[in-house]
Formats: sequence, structure tokens, C-alpha cells
Amino acid sequence: MKRVAIALLGLVLLAGLAATASEAGKLLIWADDTRAPIMIEVAKDFTAAYGVEVEVQEIASGDTRGQLATAGPAGEGPDILIGAHDWLGELILNGLIEPIILTPAQIGNFDPVAIDAFMWGNLLYGVPYATENVALIRNTDLVPDVPATFEDLLTVAKGLTDLDAGKYGFLIQEPDPYHTFPLHSAGGGYVFGKDANGVLNPCDIGLDNAGSIAGAILLDQMVKDGIEIAGAGYSEVTGAFNAGNLGMMIGGPWTLADVKAAGINYGISPIPPIAGNAPRVFVGVQGFMISAFSENKVLANLFVKDFLIQTDVMLALYIQGDRPPAYLPALALLAGNEDIQGFAASAANGIPMPKIAEMASVWDSWIGALGLIVNQEQDPATAMHEAADEIRALLNCP
Amino acid sequence: MVWKYVVKNAVKIVLLGTLCAVAVYVFVFLGAKGMWIPGAMAPIGAGLISYIFLSQKRYPLRWLVPGLLFLTVMVVYPIGYTFVSSFTNVGTGHMLSKDQAIHQILERSYAPTDAVSYSYVAFADPSGNLALLLDGGGRTILYVGGVASDIQPDDPRLVDEDGDGQPDRFDSYVRLPTPEVVQRLHDIEALRIEYRGTIIALESLAEFQTRSPQYAYDPNANTITDLRTAVVYFPVDGIFTSPNGDEIYPGYKVWKGLVNYVKLITDRQVSGPFVQVFFWTFVYSTITVILNFALGLFTAILLNDPHLRLRTLYRILAVVPYALPAFITILVWRGMLNEHFGVINQILVALFGSGARIPWLQNAMWAKTSVLLVNLWLGFPYMMLIALGALQSIPSELYEAARVDGAGWWGRFHKVTLPLLLMPLAPLLIGSYAFNFNNFTLIYLLTQGGPPIAGAMTPAGATDILISYTFNLAFAGEHGNQLGLAAAVSVMIFVIIATISAINFRMTGALEELSKNV
Repeated sequence: MKRVAIALLGLVLLAGLAATASEAGKLLIWADDTRAPIMIEVAKDFTAAYGVEVEVQEIASGDTRGQLATAGPAGEGPDILIGAHDWLGELILNGLIEPIILTPAQIGNFDPVAIDAFMWGNLLYGVPYATENVALIRNTDLVPDVPATFEDLLTVAKGLTDLDAGKYGFLIQEPDPYHTFPLHSAGGGYVFGKDANGVLNPCDIGLDNAGSIAGAILLDQMVKDGIEIAGAGYSEVTGAFNAGNLGMMIGGPWTLADVKAAGINYGISPIPPIAGNAPRVFVGVQGFMISAFSENKVLANLFVKDFLIQTDVMLALYIQGDRPPAYLPALALLAGNEDIQGFAASAANGIPMPKIAEMASVWDSWIGALGLIVNQEQDPATAMHEAADEIRALLNCP
Repeated sequence: MVWKYVVKNAVKIVLLGTLCAVAVYVFVFLGAKGMWIPGAMAPIGAGLISYIFLSQKRYPLRWLVPGLLFLTVMVVYPIGYTFVSSFTNVGTGHMLSKDQAIHQILERSYAPTDAVSYSYVAFADPSGNLALLLDGGGRTILYVGGVASDIQPDDPRLVDEDGDGQPDRFDSYVRLPTPEVVQRLHDIEALRIEYRGTIIALESLAEFQTRSPQYAYDPNANTITDLRTAVVYFPVDGIFTSPNGDEIYPGYKVWKGLVNYVKLITDRQVSGPFVQVFFWTFVYSTITVILNFALGLFTAILLNDPHLRLRTLYRILAVVPYALPAFITILVWRGMLNEHFGVINQILVALFGSGARIPWLQNAMWAKTSVLLVNLWLGFPYMMLIALGALQSIPSELYEAARVDGAGWWGRFHKVTLPLLLMPLAPLLIGSYAFNFNNFTLIYLLTQGGPPIAGAMTPAGATDILISYTFNLAFAGEHGNQLGLAAAVSVMIFVIIATISAINFRMTGALEELSKNV
């Protein structure tokens, strides 16, 4: 009797299994905290149009790749994920995402830089929706005019700075390569050079070339002049700016929501030329990718191709994140928007963030070098040389 | 009485039955995803539990088995997994198993130059079986019961009821309206229709297309061939590689033997700052335990004094750092210690001028001090609590006797209090040592290992301890994550902690000996 009872119960639960194991016919989207709420709204329209349920799961941006690597192969991952184009190298190497085929007409409606960012070889791996990059953000009450040169900027900054009173003229969050890169790149610094075919060469590391070191020396001088300070991270810099205690900062669209909330009058412009050379910022592209382990690939394609590529959906995505749309018809509707124009002007000569997986080896050493410079522990040239050598050794370069 | 017996056994059988059913479910569920070994643990465990609960002879085991099972699942299995991983190259580019990687590569297809696109109409019979009518390339194809065959567009079986030129029914099959097609897209997508030596598969919501597989796997030679170029790819270190070095992603995990351990010792990239980090880890754990215990004991003795007023209030206040989540308080400390924006330096500057600004987190020596001080703030209440308890267990006659013997304040503390406290507290102190040895949270949240060490071969900071250093090592590898290498370091840390625990048990035994003599 006992055995029969146990066997029966087992059978009942087994029958239930068929209903719960597969999530066929339902889309699961992974988005970070800023995009999840808007995706939930946008997905309602998709459900209304196609009768397909869409679930949006919030995953912190930094955790997405790691979680996808474990959840995807185990069949627990999403169908669609939202992320930055520089994840591509790692995701493709791990076999986690699928190519997406757009029609030439669809591709023609996107910013070519954004499409290029999601290309790997000759395949497209994501539908871009927004570009993002840093620019010079001024408190226009403290700094009414855009400085013509970086030297002018430093003069203005010096006049505003009073460290003991907690007043600052110009801050770059440090140690942070992403925000410091414009200083390096103005004089010709780069992370990875390109080979003859235009492909990034991970062994051509330009972090200790003359231009990069010139940028590091400039940073060092800013610290020595008491303009740039140690311990100014993201929350410190934006906190000072939003309190009206900071004249200028290097920041991206993600800072704007708080700036607006704080009621600060601001202006956005490209970072002015350093010794006559225009700084070049990193340009990142955000987009939608399809998991290689999705059980609903056609449905996922339907979502990212036929549904997302619509002007009103792309506009809805813009409103939440302040990031300029990569979809040109949506961007055209925002032509009068000064924020977008400011960031776009800064991106005009930008460099796409390298998307090869080797980029993962670069950050720590570079952060270390900037930390040593800002803390005044090492001279800038040595710090950059040592960092570049660390990276070369890590990548087994000669 | 009989009634009670029946109910008791019925409840038992229902609960055990549920357990076994869940176990079978877990087994099938995980097995379907190819994870047979973890899956098999569930029915084995459930079987064992059922046996123990149904057998009178095994009665005492009932109380032990649940704990042992959890120990296996939550402690032994992860350790074993880490140990096994440390002998592989698992990491970015090598996350999948070989079967998964091959499966994914073989799924890739391309549209051949003579590919045909087909529009389609989907049908379903009353039991839900799908049938398709494909139309393209001048042909009409009926796909039903897994077989594709040519038919005439005006085949009499096709019935167009509403006269819109599209068939609505044939035999028992009824045409699916678009919303239902979308609902069943998953099943339609899975179809691989074999037709005249080609494969036709769903390409988009609107059409099917001829596809050709791009790769073929030869299990005997263990090679993958690109069917378009005829290039043969051989497995090299867990990735299929062509003779001229082209690789097919994704790669997969392979057994690498002791390579990770050898790398730890010989590769200067890895071992460079290792000695410095290793040394600081010991110094940091030792000083932390001594400082925390000293302050904890001191406050405990103060608060144990019956003459002290508002004792309870002080005790509550002193426990606050222990009661608040460290994740938050460490970040608060990080903010307070900021060189320019932190409140501590702002007070110092207000009192003594800008020369008094201390680089709390920027200078190696000060950063180490900050780590120790913050950990003291976090850790002393624990020591105070256990010392308070232990103090109350010391009989007051011993102090009276000591006083009669002429012992002063210091004599009583060092001859009576300290030895009697250390006896019960020593294992806890060693436990605290082991905990701080691996206190990733504190280091990562407070300093992230910084400030950086100049001239280190790999990125390492002055306050990095072994576990935070391992974390950097694992996630800043050549192509992203080097989980295999990190697993090897974890195994080494495990050996160190296990040794400390062994000493702990030894000392506990030794103290028991001591207490017998008291």
C-alpha cells in the first residue's frame, strides 16, 4: 500500500512537470534597474499586439554577463537581454548570444556607428537602441561660457576651487579610465591599435605612448595644482555638482536625471581641445541581444526586429534613460534637444569602446596607474609604462 | 489508540511520498537538462530518508540525516566542485561542456545560394498536432505527420470555407489564426522539414526558408568540418581550431591537470605580489583578532561592574555596530574616510587647518590603519558579548580569595580573569581569525584592495588579502574570467583555513585538559 501511494504521488507530480519545465511561448527579458520599468511598459504593447506574455527580470548591469554564463546553458536564462556593445567579445566567446539578421532598410534607419558597434565579423549580434558617451557638463551659474581650450578650463577651475570650503572648479572621477580616457586620447593615446585590416590588435597597446603619457602628466599637474583631488569617485563628483559646489565635470547622460532633480542649470559641450588637440571620448552603444539558449528565438526576433524597431517604442526607451536614440527616425524627432546635441557633439570624433574580450584585462592595471598618479605615489610616465607592461604580460604579448 | 496510530502513519506516508515525488521531479527536471549527477542526488537522498523513517532499527539516525544531507549539498558538493574545477580551464570562452558546445555549433545553418523562401499556413488537428502548407519556389508542399510531400494547389482535400483564397481546413486539420500561430511558434520553430535533400526551417514569423547545416561533427576523429569551405577544425585546449589558427566559438571545458597550480607557483604574473598579499593577510587577521578582543574584553569588564549606572543602555549602544548590516556600515565608513568629502577629514581640517587632512584610503599605511580601525568598530561588540557571558561564569569567590591573598587589580585580571576567560573563548578567537582571513566584504567594500602597489606585476593593492586578490585574478584574466585558476587559489586558501581549524580543535582539546586541572 505504501509503495503504491508513493508511486501515485510521484506520477501526479511528473504530470505537473510537463507544464512547468519549459517556458515556451513566453518571453523573458533581462534588463537593469533603469530599463526594467520601461521594458515592463513597452512589453504591455507587445502582449496586446501578439498575445504573448512578456516577463521582465531586473538584473544588475554588472552581473548580467556572469549570470548569463551560468543560467543560459542551464536553460534558466532569458530570451532577450539588454546590454552594452562592449560585452560582445565575452558573450560571443562563451557562445551565449545569437546573430540577428536585419533587412538593409532596417539597418539604414540606425546610426551607422551603432550598427558597427554590434557587428562581430560580418554578423550583427544586437539591435542598438541608444548611444552613450561622456561630455563636459557645466553648472552654467558658475561657468556661464564654454571654455575655448582646456587651458582656459583649468584657469576657470582654479578660480572656483577652494578645497577647505568644499568648492571645486573641475573634477574627473578617479581612478576611472573611462572618464580619464579623453585626456589620454587628445594627444594620440589609445587602448588597442588597429592592424592593416582595420581589426583591433590586442598586442598593440597604446596606453604608454607619448599621447597617453601626456594625458597622465596633465592629470598629475591637475592634482599638483589642487584642482583634481584624490578620493573623488562617482558619488562624490555628482554629489558636489548637484549641490552646486562644482563648476564642471566630465559625465554622461546617466548623471542628468539627478542634476535635473537638483534644479542645477547645466550645459553640455565637448571637452575643449588640449594643447590644440580635440579629446576623443569612448562611445558605448546599448542594445538588445538574443540568448543562444532561448527556446523562443523566432518570437525573440519578432520582438527585437518587428516590435522594437518602431519610432514610438524607441522614443519611449529614450525618455527613461536620457540616452540619445540610435534609431535615426526617433533621433530626428529630438533634433531640438540640447542635451542630446551636446552629447552628440562630444561623440562626433569618439572612439567606440573596444569590444574584444581582451578589454577585460585592461581595466585593473589602468585603474591602478591612475590611482598611483592621483595619490601622488608614482610619476605619471612610470605608472603608465608599468600598467601597459602588466597588460602586455597578461595578454602574452611580446 | 488504533485511530491515532493510523493517522500518524498516514501523515508519515503522505510526507515521505511527497518527498519522494519531489525528488523524482528534481531528478527528471535536472536530468532533462543533462545534469544527471546533481539530479541523481535527490532520489538517492529521498530514498535514504524514506528508508530511515520507515525502519524502526534506524530510529536514532532520523535526527542526524537531515543535517548530514544539507552538509553534503551545501558544503561538501561546492568544495568538491571547486576542487574539480581547479583542474580544468573553465573561464571565459570555456564555460560550456563539450556536448553543449558541439550542439550549439551544429545548430548553425546558412541559407544556400539556391535557397527558397516559403510562405506558410499552419493547421492543427483536434489533438493539437501541427501541419503546414508551404508555398514557394513554384511548389506547394504539405507537411503533415512529419512527412513533406508535393501537392497541387487545388488539391481537393484543401477546403477554402470563407473564399479568401487561403485554405481553412483539410481532413481533420483546421487552420490556426495568427495569434495562435504566435502562441505555437515555439513548436513551429523546432520543426526541421526534410524535403528533397534539403532542410526547411522557420526563418521569421512570416516565412520558412531552405537552410543547410554549416558544420558537421565527426565523433570518431573528434573534428568539426565546415561544410562550406571543407576546412577541418581540430580540438586544441578546448576549442575547435583550424590548421591556420581560426577558432570556432564557443569553446568548452577541458581537463588541464595541475596546470593552474603550476601557474600559481611559476608564473610571475600570478605569484608576483602573492608573497606581499599573503603576509598582509596574516598580519591583518592577527592584529584584528588581538585588537578586537582587547577592546571587547575591556568594555566587557567595564560594563560588568555592578556599580556602573545605565549599564543596560551602554550595553545596547555598544552592540549597535554588530547589529547593523556590515554591508551598509562599511560603505558609510568609506564615505566618512574620504580624503576631501569625508566628515572625519572635514572635522580635522576645521579644527587644525588643511595640513591635518589625512589620506585615509589613499596612502598604503593609512589605508591599512583604516581597515584595522573599521574592523575594530565592526568586531569588538562580538568579543564584548562573548566576554560578558564568560565573565559572569567566573565564580566571585575566586576574586575574593585572590583579594585575601593580596592580589591587586592587575593580579586579579591577569591571574584569574584572563586564564579563565581564554579557556572558553580560545576556539571563538580562532574562529574569528579564520573568518577575518577570508573577510572579503570588508576589504572589497572599504578599499577594494587599494591603494595600488607601485611596480606590482599584476594589479594588486596594499590592503588586498588573499581572497580579494583571488577575486581580481579570477575576473581580470586574459579573456575575462579565469575561474579554473581562481578555483586553484580557493583550494589553497581552503587548505590554510582547514589547517587553522585543525589547530583550533587541537587547542580546544588541550584547554579541556587544562580545565580538568583547575
